[in-house]
Amino acid sequence: MKQGVIPDELTAPFWSAANESKLVIQNCSRCDRLQHPPAQDCGQCKSGENLEWKEMNGTGHIYNYGVVHDCPIRLLQDDQPFNVAVIMLDDDPGIQMYSHLPGTPVDDVPVGAAVEVVFEKSANGQKIPEWKVVN
Amino acid sequence: MTILISFDIDGTMEIGDPAGAVTLEMVKTARAKGIITGSCSDRPMSAQRAIWEQYGVEYDFVCYKHLLSDLKTQFEVEEYYHVGDRDDLDRKYAIQAGFGFFWPDEAAASPLLL
Amino acid sequence: MATGYAPSSMYRSREGMGIWEHKGKVAAVGVGHSPTERRWDERPETSVGAWSIMALRNAIADAGVEPDHIDGIVIVPETTTGAFWPDDKPLPQDVINAFVQTDDPLDGVAKLSVEWLLKNMPELTNINYSVYAPVCMSNALNVAAQAVGDGLAHTVLVLKAWHNLEGRYYQGGQNAQDAIGGTSAIRSLWGAPACYGTALQFAEYCRKYGKDHDMMTPFIINSRRNGLMFPEGYWAQHRPEELTPEDYQLARWIAKPANLFDNDIPIMCAASYLFTTAERAKDMKQKPVYVLNHVDSDAVPRGLTPTLDEVEAECALTGRKIYEGAGITAADLSFENMYDGFTQFHQFHLEGLGYRGIGFGDALDFYQTDISIEGPNPVSPSGGNIGSGRSRFWMHTDSIQQLQGRAGGRQITGVNAEIGVSGGPMPLGGNYTVWSATPD
Repeated sequence: MKQGVIPDELTAPFWSAANESKLVIQNCSRCDRLQHPPAQDCGQCKSGENLEWKEMNGTGHIYNYGVVHDCPIRLLQDDQPFNVAVIMLDDDPGIQMYSHLPGTPVDDVPVGAAVEVVFEKSANGQKIPEWKVVN
Repeated sequence: MTILISFDIDGTMEIGDPAGAVTLEMVKTARAKGIITGSCSDRPMSAQRAIWEQYGVEYDFVCYKHLLSDLKTQFEVEEYYHVGDRDDLDRKYAIQAGFGFFWPDEAAASPLLL
Repeated sequence: MATGYAPSSMYRSREGMGIWEHKGKVAAVGVGHSPTERRWDERPETSVGAWSIMALRNAIADAGVEPDHIDGIVIVPETTTGAFWPDDKPLPQDVINAFVQTDDPLDGVAKLSVEWLLKNMPELTNINYSVYAPVCMSNALNVAAQAVGDGLAHTVLVLKAWHNLEGRYYQGGQNAQDAIGGTSAIRSLWGAPACYGTALQFAEYCRKYGKDHDMMTPFIINSRRNGLMFPEGYWAQHRPEELTPEDYQLARWIAKPANLFDNDIPIMCAASYLFTTAERAKDMKQKPVYVLNHVDSDAVPRGLTPTLDEVEAECALTGRKIYEGAGITAADLSFENMYDGFTQFHQFHLEGLGYRGIGFGDALDFYQTDISIEGPNPVSPSGGNIGSGRSRFWMHTDSIQQLQGRAGGRQITGVNAEIGVSGGPMPLGGNYTVWSATPD
């Protein structure tokens, strides 16, 4: 079970969208550039004035993965070992998200495979973007 | 009844870092009762052998704690136990391998070691 | 005297800056270390403050200078290995009584300020330049070299210290909580341990070049062997355990493909170096080791974690900057002491340097050749963090000592120690120093 999430000012739109089963990513409208994790300023133009949230189409590919056997987070330790994959979004492969790849056997991860976003509940009910391999 | 006890080292034995509740004398006592003993620790296996030899305590095996289940193929006994201090490693690997489990304080008070 | 962080202008971050303007005009002379310990036992004499003072005094004595000749100090104020003093735990009274305090009760216990050091080292009467460098000794060395070269001070102490407290690594704080803040959740909800990012890069590296984890074995064994000949190091002092191929290859995974021995062990320790001008260094006790260049990597990954492409590009850029500023080529390196804590960084650094002519994808094959201190291609003669515990400064001490000819059992013998390079930690975000036995 993932830890719960307490949204803060910076990330509230991301988590609110997740609760509506939508994936949004911060975007600088001036640079037309997505960035994740979200930040106070655009990583390119360094301005915070043109940041907005943009909905993604919810598809991506598995870029890479590792298998976590010794996790520092107490709530996840009963689930060890587990996959932690890096997903690159189809909207912009420069945007990465982590995933436990629910439904994919441990250490049997099809690198390069297509995935789609799903939303699962964390310990406090906040929905978390996760990714499932598209069969 | 034949019994095997595997000891973690750090946090479990008096010679560990940090030191734990299980003394070398307790291990010797167990051996005197005919119990098969050795260590299953994160320490390098070569270092585990060196530790037993340094303190002059005989041992039947050394292995890594995540390989605890391998002991069952090496030693056919009636009861298997592992003593360790980490819930997410020692206890978990012991349960997965079908071993009984003692925390160090429990082991130090067990008739098997006294 | 208010102390602030070094300005970005002190770092050499760009390619095309030419040969460093102070090449060969700055030298390291003295080396000082504290002992090591796994965790603090909460005695005053083993606190991070006490050990910092010890390391500084040892460096001063090693250089053979009078304390009042020292006019500058560069330190890293952060001392944590990942352990933080609990808010609700009172500090031991004998620790409070043993030192002159600053306004911050954790000063000298879980952090370090120049103010605290100067209050507790009354012999340093002439410090008129002080500056902080973030996180690592590698960074502080860059700042110290530039400060001496620029004439901001002529005799400078550089210090990095580490504290480690009771409890397991990174198991407390937010990792033990049922819910965490939204910003950190975006990175940390999935439970990746510290080595995960490097393990990912290594996984991609293995897929791309057809390598595997077991090929790291000779590097691990070599590093521990060298570390056991480092009397200042943790393993040599406390647990002189060599590693065998079986020990390494069967060890449990932390984040596959990084196992337990691909990770370094957090420890308490402190080290200091004395930097001065090449001119003044001639009159000091130890042979000067000249700084030919210093380099900063300030790259930031686009995504959550650097891709292999980003790592390789940055390591190649760092290599070019190292050689450009020092006016040397890869062929001039007698040895390399690049970072290794996690082990799987090291091959990226080696390949970026083009050490002994290797290119990307070659390092693990190179590890299967003679990489010992006795051979022609010494790799990590310090043994690094893997050989001596997490300090991120063994490689600098070793580089200085190699070039002074006083590395003891670790002294390289297959080649003459003339020029070496050390630095790290991360391929994206490291600092590097080029050292030489001669000023040109």
